[in-house]
Amino acid sequence: MTVDTNVARTETADAEVQEAAARARRLFVLNLVFEARAFIALAVLIAVFGFLSDSFLTVTNLITMTKHVAINAVLALGMLLVILKGGIDLSVGSILGLSGVVAGELLGGVRLDIFGVVAYPPVWVVVIICLGVGTAAGLVNGILVTRFKVAPFIATLGTLYIARGIALLMSNGQTYPRLGGDPSLDNTGFGWIGTGRPLGLPTSIWFMMVLALAVTLLLTKTPFGRWLYATGGNERAAELSGVPVLRVKTLVYMISGACAAASGLIIASELTSAAPQAGETFELNAIAAVVIGGAALSGGRGTVRGTLVGAFVIGFLADGLVIVGVSTFWQILIKGAVIILAVVLDQGQQRFQRRGAAAAAVAASRRPD
Amino acid sequence: MSRFPVRGRRGRRIAAVAPLLVGALFMTACGGSSDTSATSTKKSSDSSSPAGEEAGGLIAIITPSPDNPFFKAEADASKAKAEELGYETSVASHDDDVNKQSELIDAAISRKAKAIILDNAGADASIGPIQKAVDAGIPVFLIDREINQTGIASAQIVSNNAQGAQLGAQSFVEAMGEKGNYVELVGKESDTNAGVRSGGYNDVISQYPNMKRVVQETANWDQQEAFTKMETILQRNRDIQGVIAGNDTMALGAVAALKAAGLIKKVLVVGFDGSPDAIAAIKAGEMHATVLQPAGGGAEEAVMQADKLIRTGEKPAEEKQSIDCELITKDNADEFGVFARL
Repeated sequence: MTVDTNVARTETADAEVQEAAARARRLFVLNLVFEARAFIALAVLIAVFGFLSDSFLTVTNLITMTKHVAINAVLALGMLLVILKGGIDLSVGSILGLSGVVAGELLGGVRLDIFGVVAYPPVWVVVIICLGVGTAAGLVNGILVTRFKVAPFIATLGTLYIARGIALLMSNGQTYPRLGGDPSLDNTGFGWIGTGRPLGLPTSIWFMMVLALAVTLLLTKTPFGRWLYATGGNERAAELSGVPVLRVKTLVYMISGACAAASGLIIASELTSAAPQAGETFELNAIAAVVIGGAALSGGRGTVRGTLVGAFVIGFLADGLVIVGVSTFWQILIKGAVIILAVVLDQGQQRFQRRGAAAAAVAASRRPD
Repeated sequence: MSRFPVRGRRGRRIAAVAPLLVGALFMTACGGSSDTSATSTKKSSDSSSPAGEEAGGLIAIITPSPDNPFFKAEADASKAKAEELGYETSVASHDDDVNKQSELIDAAISRKAKAIILDNAGADASIGPIQKAVDAGIPVFLIDREINQTGIASAQIVSNNAQGAQLGAQSFVEAMGEKGNYVELVGKESDTNAGVRSGGYNDVISQYPNMKRVVQETANWDQQEAFTKMETILQRNRDIQGVIAGNDTMALGAVAALKAAGLIKKVLVVGFDGSPDAIAAIKAGEMHATVLQPAGGGAEEAVMQADKLIRTGEKPAEEKQSIDCELITKDNADEFGVFARL
């Protein structure tokens, strides 16, 4: 008797388990599709523009577009770290502008009144100082957020204005022209940062690739990466389990600032001139790339791969619309629609993931072993 | 919510008050900063003398954002002229924000300015604030941009954008030998001057059937955007002999893209504004021409007319006055400084 009821119970349980497993599989497939949505969007973009214009899918155009993407991608990779932490960095566009202005100021010569001479630092010194300025601006953000407990949105909004103000004050509102340097002063080569082509690819693309690799390694292979995901996922829990939360938070802003400064150098070099208003609203493009790439603004979720694809979607969309000849007003509207679509799909994915996990848990818990 | 009425209500109250507080904070911050940034200089000892008769008192100078060298030149020139004539000055910028402009005008009224020199923030939105100043007995002299109403401002001194665009286009067409493919980079499409310049260019160029505009794209007056768009345009079509841009910053962005593509020697670039950077590019042979808007000239003229009104009570004969633009090419590039003839 007891054996019989046991068998019957096992049979119904088996059926339930199978159903749950099937559901889990279905949701897994759907989840994969959602996971790859940014890639799919990029593929669709390339296919559509390739179809509409002969000059879209050429090697030179792809390289040119990737070069345009690189500027935003570098900002977005820094932004990704901040967003993983659950913060936001609105100051990157201004830091970008400030970095260019500092480069312009230094390349134009530094007056050392004590010695009565004008020093012309070589380009590598200029680069290091500019990156240092960006890092320092990030440090200010970090200290405001960690020590003074200012909400990241407000702290970086403040530094957005301050950095822009400093850039305007330093340059007196003027553009620094002709940053090519002077051979007699031994400070040439600034133009190479933006226009050099080692192995046939522009330096900015190389830089983007190296940075992406470095950030990937940082996130996946180092304790810092685990701390960062933990801090963004649940800050209190991370803190209680011994993660140096304050240090992690400060560091991400510093990295983001340095990335912004690097982007500023690339732009100033490409134009061989630095305008104090460069980079206005670039922070929004960077945030958009991170969001399209599937990161959660609440922190703890997001990948380098996704962010890069997000940057490519935005960049290819913008350039593609120019090549096809769509009006600027439509370009703006379409960009907005793409961002909203990306987030809506992201919410969908979250739901599938939770249901898929629940179904998989049911299947696993009842599995007779 | 209803289960925690007190908490809910307080929460709501805080939520309602917080933005107000922040807003107030920012407003005072802005007001404060513009006041401190407004460089006041004392020249005359008896600033309390009643309006009329003699020079002296405050002239308020309000322009758009100083991060554009053109507006900065305008502000600098009017400040220098007013001080030369014995006035105190206050210089402030409204950043193309109508609300901020209104606050600055209020400030000028409460400081009992003798005149306001204004490069306004919007052809329609500025009418009200200007009326307010005039009602308070302060004459307003508009420079660079017009408003859509006459009879309020004492003068509207505007450089003739249409004439300037035609000058630039004429030189562009001649240098191209009246034939070829060209790209037009248009300024911010919501800005009146972008449309006027584009119209002026096309009025001239459309008379030459062999001149073919292959792309018209907006680059929002911005150098980096012009660079990116020009690079993209060159991907589609390298058979381009000319670029005509709505301002110099966009022209210089196109120059950078053409340089990167190795086409700078084959493509003629024409800009607008007469900025020092563009003049340097013309001297270096990278740009063909630009059109000088005499920013300093218009601003000085406005101050002189304001001075005349204050001293003699005599209004300018014409409210709408236009100042002609000048063409700058390699031949005369040495004769120009910062937005003015040397």
